Amino acid sequence: MEGDIAAARPVIAVEALEKRYGEVEAVRGVSFSIWPGTCVGLLGPNGAGKTTIMRMIMALAQPTAGRLRLFGEAPSALGRAMRERVGLVPQDDNLDPDLSVQQNLEVYGRYFGRPTPEIAERVPKLLGFMQLAERADAQVMQLSGGMKRRLIIARALIADPELIILDEPTTGLDPQARVLIWRRLVDLRREGKTLLLTTHYMDEAQRLCDRIIIIDGGKVLDEGSPQELIDRHTRAYVVEIAKPLPAGFSEDGLERNDIGDAVLYYASAPEDVTNRLPPHATYLTRNANLEDVFLRLTGHTLRQGE
Amino acid sequence: MSAPVGAIPVNRYSRAVWRRNALVWRRLIGPSLATNVLDPLIFLFAFGYGLGAVVDQVGGLSYLSFVVPGMMCYAAMFAASFESTISTYARFSMQRTWDAILATPVTLTELMLGEMSWAATKGVFSSACVIAVGWVWGGIGSPWGAAAALPVLALGAVCFASCGLVVTALAKSWDIFAYFFTFWVTPMFMFSGTFFEVARFPWFVQAIAWVLPMTHLIAVVRPLAAGTALDPLATAGHLSFLAALAVAAFAFARARFGARLLG
Repeated sequence: MEGDIAAARPVIAVEALEKRYGEVEAVRGVSFSIWPGTCVGLLGPNGAGKTTIMRMIMALAQPTAGRLRLFGEAPSALGRAMRERVGLVPQDDNLDPDLSVQQNLEVYGRYFGRPTPEIAERVPKLLGFMQLAERADAQVMQLSGGMKRRLIIARALIADPELIILDEPTTGLDPQARVLIWRRLVDLRREGKTLLLTTHYMDEAQRLCDRIIIIDGGKVLDEGSPQELIDRHTRAYVVEIAKPLPAGFSEDGLERNDIGDAVLYYASAPEDVTNRLPPHATYLTRNANLEDVFLRLTGHTLRQGE
Repeated sequence: MSAPVGAIPVNRYSRAVWRRNALVWRRLIGPSLATNVLDPLIFLFAFGYGLGAVVDQVGGLSYLSFVVPGMMCYAAMFAASFESTISTYARFSMQRTWDAILATPVTLTELMLGEMSWAATKGVFSSACVIAVGWVWGGIGSPWGAAAALPVLALGAVCFASCGLVVTALAKSWDIFAYFFTFWVTPMFMFSGTFFEVARFPWFVQAIAWVLPMTHLIAVVRPLAAGTALDPLATAGHLSFLAALAVAAFAFARARFGARLLG
């Protein structure tokens, strides 16, 4: 797809991007491109630099070095024109607590300079789309975490943006609430929207994203489709064996990762590992996923320190 | 929607911020109206009977005619100062309303203009309540003059609101607002001529008083509301002081917020 530059221009193009806050290097030379109509995930643990990258894309932080292009221009040069085309779903709940659900959308529509009739037409549609129609008059304080998150997404869609940036869209939500949000994000992608999301959930990234950019310590470690990344960095299967390892078990020639109370072995077929085990030994076998990719790339897990 | 009294006629983006605050306030209009009318009533009762009984004339005016214009200015100053500091800081820091707005086409300057004009609107509203109460009480020498004072009070409220934004822009926590009220609001209450003539104070207090915007506002509003003569040159000087301080304070606050929010 990268070769097809003549057909389309990347929505976001980032080259050797750096951001320092005093002594702290939050982003250390990041490069990637995001193409129209795709869903791209920035996958990395907390503190990897994901939010800082998003803030720079939104011109809410200025890059220390490197090049950043949004719709082909520097975000600071685009100013208002850029913000009209982007919907931001921040990680923190910054809904307006003084307003009702419906008022939150109406007032936000005015921040986008939209005319009143257009807002009046769009608000009920968005409430329906995010399954909030019945709570239109509720105060924000009365909403559950999942509903708040849905309202924040509805709010980001108020001006029908081309690009939607979502910072940890389902962090802290229960599984049902997450599935509902995932469905809507899939719908948006089908409508042709470009989605950039950060997440530290590998299942979320695997489920939603066409491409994944793995970030750790302010650097891009690798990028590709979920399957490409799995194929490139790990084997198809993972066999997990709890410590202490069974006596007589030989690890020779196996790819392994010690995760503390257990060891993960990577293999093209589970038998490559399990055949070496003594009878009645207990183990766990599963398909490799992005979590394994991340572990292989960094030596630590995605949710370390949580 | 037409530009409200006290709001700088700016674009639809800053007006969207102004309208957000107006929408929230609309729910509280009852209590707000009650306190804005009751406050000056209590003051007038206490000072009118207390001091007014002792003091016959101040600066050629009855004490009532002297104190009502002072209270008009004080109401504008207090409401605009409170809204641009405590209330704005809550939206900026606790509620993260500013973060949400800055992700939209609203620029930081427009956001600040919206907040500032809203704070000024509340100041003018409070002033208007004092005018109504003071007029009924018999403390307004010239009703037309008092009406003509409203735009001047609006300029004063814009100045107080802009000064308030400076403190909000510097605030790292709520603590700073205690200093703001002690070293800014209270001196303007006591030394700027609200209840006593500035000329009665020793020279160094007078020197401080004339650095405070409140002193300049009262110097224009009092003759207007009382219906006494205005010195055109001095008036131009007072108004210029208020306008210049408003612009300087707003620009400083904008620079500080810019460094804080867009760095």
